[in-house]
Amino acid sequence: MLTEEARRAVGQLKKADIVIGIPSYNNARTIGHVVRAAQAGLAKYFPQLSSVIINSDGGSRDGTQEAVLKASIENPHLLLLNTPLLPVHRLSLPYHGIPGKGSAFRMIFAMARELGAKACAVVDADLRSITPEWVDLLVRPVLHAGYDFVAPYYHRHKYDGTITNSIVYPLTRALYGLRVRQPIGGDFGISRRLLMRYLERNDWETDVARYGIDIWMTTIAIAEGYQVCQSFLGAKLHDAKDPAADLTAMLQQVVGSVFTLMREYEHVWRKVEGSRPVDLFGFRFDVGLDPIPVNLERMTKALLTGYRELREIWSLALDRSNLEALAAVCRQAEQNPSGWRLADDLWARIVMDFACAHRRMPVERTHLLRSLTPLYLGRVASFVMETETMISSEVEDRIEQLCLAFEAAKTYLAARWDSTGKAVEAPTQPAPVEVKA
Amino acid sequence: MIGTLREILQQSLHRLAATATAYVPPLLAALVIFAAAWLIATVVRAVFLRLTKTAWLDRFVVESGLSSLFGRSRPLETAPLVAGVIYWMILLVGLLTGLNAFNTALTTKMVEAVVFLLPKLVAAGLILLAGVWLAQYLARSTLIWAVNENLSHPRQLAMAVRVMVVFVSVVVAADHLNFARTVFLAAFLLVVGGLVLAGSIALGLSAHDALKRRFAEPVHASDGQEKPLWNHL
Repeated sequence: MLTEEARRAVGQLKKADIVIGIPSYNNARTIGHVVRAAQAGLAKYFPQLSSVIINSDGGSRDGTQEAVLKASIENPHLLLLNTPLLPVHRLSLPYHGIPGKGSAFRMIFAMARELGAKACAVVDADLRSITPEWVDLLVRPVLHAGYDFVAPYYHRHKYDGTITNSIVYPLTRALYGLRVRQPIGGDFGISRRLLMRYLERNDWETDVARYGIDIWMTTIAIAEGYQVCQSFLGAKLHDAKDPAADLTAMLQQVVGSVFTLMREYEHVWRKVEGSRPVDLFGFRFDVGLDPIPVNLERMTKALLTGYRELREIWSLALDRSNLEALAAVCRQAEQNPSGWRLADDLWARIVMDFACAHRRMPVERTHLLRSLTPLYLGRVASFVMETETMISSEVEDRIEQLCLAFEAAKTYLAARWDSTGKAVEAPTQPAPVEVKA
Repeated sequence: MIGTLREILQQSLHRLAATATAYVPPLLAALVIFAAAWLIATVVRAVFLRLTKTAWLDRFVVESGLSSLFGRSRPLETAPLVAGVIYWMILLVGLLTGLNAFNTALTTKMVEAVVFLLPKLVAAGLILLAGVWLAQYLARSTLIWAVNENLSHPRQLAMAVRVMVVFVSVVVAADHLNFARTVFLAAFLLVVGGLVLAGSIALGLSAHDALKRRFAEPVHASDGQEKPLWNHL
C-alpha cells in the first residue's frame, strides 16, 4: 500500500498527531495556497500537536509537487501565536495503483495509520477559498468532541454541485436518514477509528479508487453508525473542473458507488424512515459566490437525444409508468424548450429505478450508469429553469422539497427492490418523440 | 412363361424378405433406442430442473452481460437453458446410436461425420455467441458514448460497430469450420481495407483542420461552448 518513499518518510517522521492530506493532479496553480492555509491552520489551532501535511500526487506534470514543497507561510508573526510551535512537516509523494483521488486517499490514510495520527483531514488541491479555519473546523470535532467523521458544509452557487444536489444528497439522505448536505464535498475530517475501518476494507480497487471515494467514505461513516457531524466552511470556490475530464465517467463513478453501497447496506437503509439533521459546527455566514454559467439548450438537447437514442436501454431499467411519464416530459421539452419540467417525484423514481436495475443488471452496469447522463442533464436543466430567479435560500428550500420527494419514494424503492420482476417486460416503446437534429 | 413369372415373383419376394430381415430389426432397434433416449432425456431434464441449483450460473450470466443479449428486464434463468441443452444432447446421442444400429456404410459415414463435426460446430457456435455478445456490448458502448459526446448519428455508429464485430466473428467461425474460407477472408480483407481507406480519406479531407486545432491547443485551453457542462459538478 505504501511506496518505498512513503515508508522512508514515515520512518523519519515516526509520529504525527494530525495528518492533513491533499490529493492532487496538476494543481500547481492552487495547491500552494492550500498547503499554506493548512500549515497556518495547524500552527494556529494545534501548535502543540505534531502534524504533517501529505500531498499524494497522481503524477502531475505541471510542477504540483514542487509547489507543495516550496509553499510556506510568508509572515508567521501575523498568526499571533503564544504557544510553543511544533514544526509542520510537508511531504509530497506519488501514490501507486489505479490513478484517482481514492488511491491518493488510500496512501494518505495508510501513512496516517503508520504515524499513529489521532485525526486526519483531507482537502482538495484545487480550493481557492480554503482558510486556516478549515483545518480547525475539520479536525477539532474529531479531537475534542468525539466525532468520527466531519463532513463539510459550504455555501455554493445554486448551480454548483449539481450531482450532489440532484442525486447524491437526496438519495443518501433518504437512504440512511442523515442530512449530510455535502456528502461528496471532498474536504473531510476523520478519526483514527474510522480511518482504520476504511483501510481494512477490500473495495479500494473499484470506483472508490477514483471519484467514488467521497460518497464511499460518507456512506460507510453513516451506515456503520460512526459519529457524524458537519462543519460550516464558508464558500467553496475551486478551479473549474478540467474540461477534458469526462462528466459521464464522474457521474458513473459517483452514482455507481452509491448504488453499490446500497446493496451492501440494504439492511441499514430498509430500517430507516425519514431523516434527521446532523450537528453543525462553525459560524454560518453569507458569502459572495462565483456565478456558474450553464448551457440550458445543450442540456435539454442531451435529454431529448438520450430519449431518442437510449430509450431501449432506459426501458430495461425504468418502470413502464415512469418511462411513459418521461416520454411526456420529453414531448413537453420538444414543444416548449424553455418551459418544461422534470418533476421531483418522477426524478426520484427514475433514480431509484436505476438503483434497482444496478442490482439486478438487465443491462451491463457500466452501460446503465453511463446512460444516466442525459437524464441527469435533463434534470439539471429543469432545475435551472425552475430556480433561475431564486435566491440561494429559496433554492435551498427547493432542494429540501426534492429531498422530501426522495424520502417519499423510498417505499417505492423498497417494493421495487424486492420484486425485480415488475420491471418492464420488453423494451416497450412509448409514443416516439420527434426530436429535431 | 408362367414359370418365369413365378420365379421373378419369388425372387422379388425373397429380396423383399431379405431386405426386411436385414433392415426391419435394425429399424426397430433404432426406434427403440431413440424412444429410450427420448425417455431418458425427458426424465433427466425433469430431474435436472427439479434438483439442480444454478444460482451461481445465473449470476455469472448476468454479471458477464450475457443475459443482456436476450434483451430481458428479468434476469435470465439458466436452469431451463442447461436442461434444454442436456435434453437435446441425449436425443442426439440416441439418434446417432440408433443410426449406428443399421451398420451400413452410409449410416457409419453419417455418424462419423456428425461425431467429427460436432466439436467444431460447438466451437464455432461459441465463437459466434461470443462475437454476438461482444458486438452487443461494443455497440451499446458506442451508442451511449456517441450520445453523451453529442455526436451525430449515434445509432448508425453503433450499428456499424455491431456489424463489424459480428462479421469478424462469422469469419472466424467459418474459418474454424473450413467453410468458404477464402471467400470470407477475402470479403473481410476487402471490408477492412475499404474502411481504413475511407477513414484515411475522410480524416485527410474533413478532419484536417479540426485535428490541427485539437493538437495545437494546450490541455486547459478548451474554453469553448462545452465548458458549462463541467462547471456544475
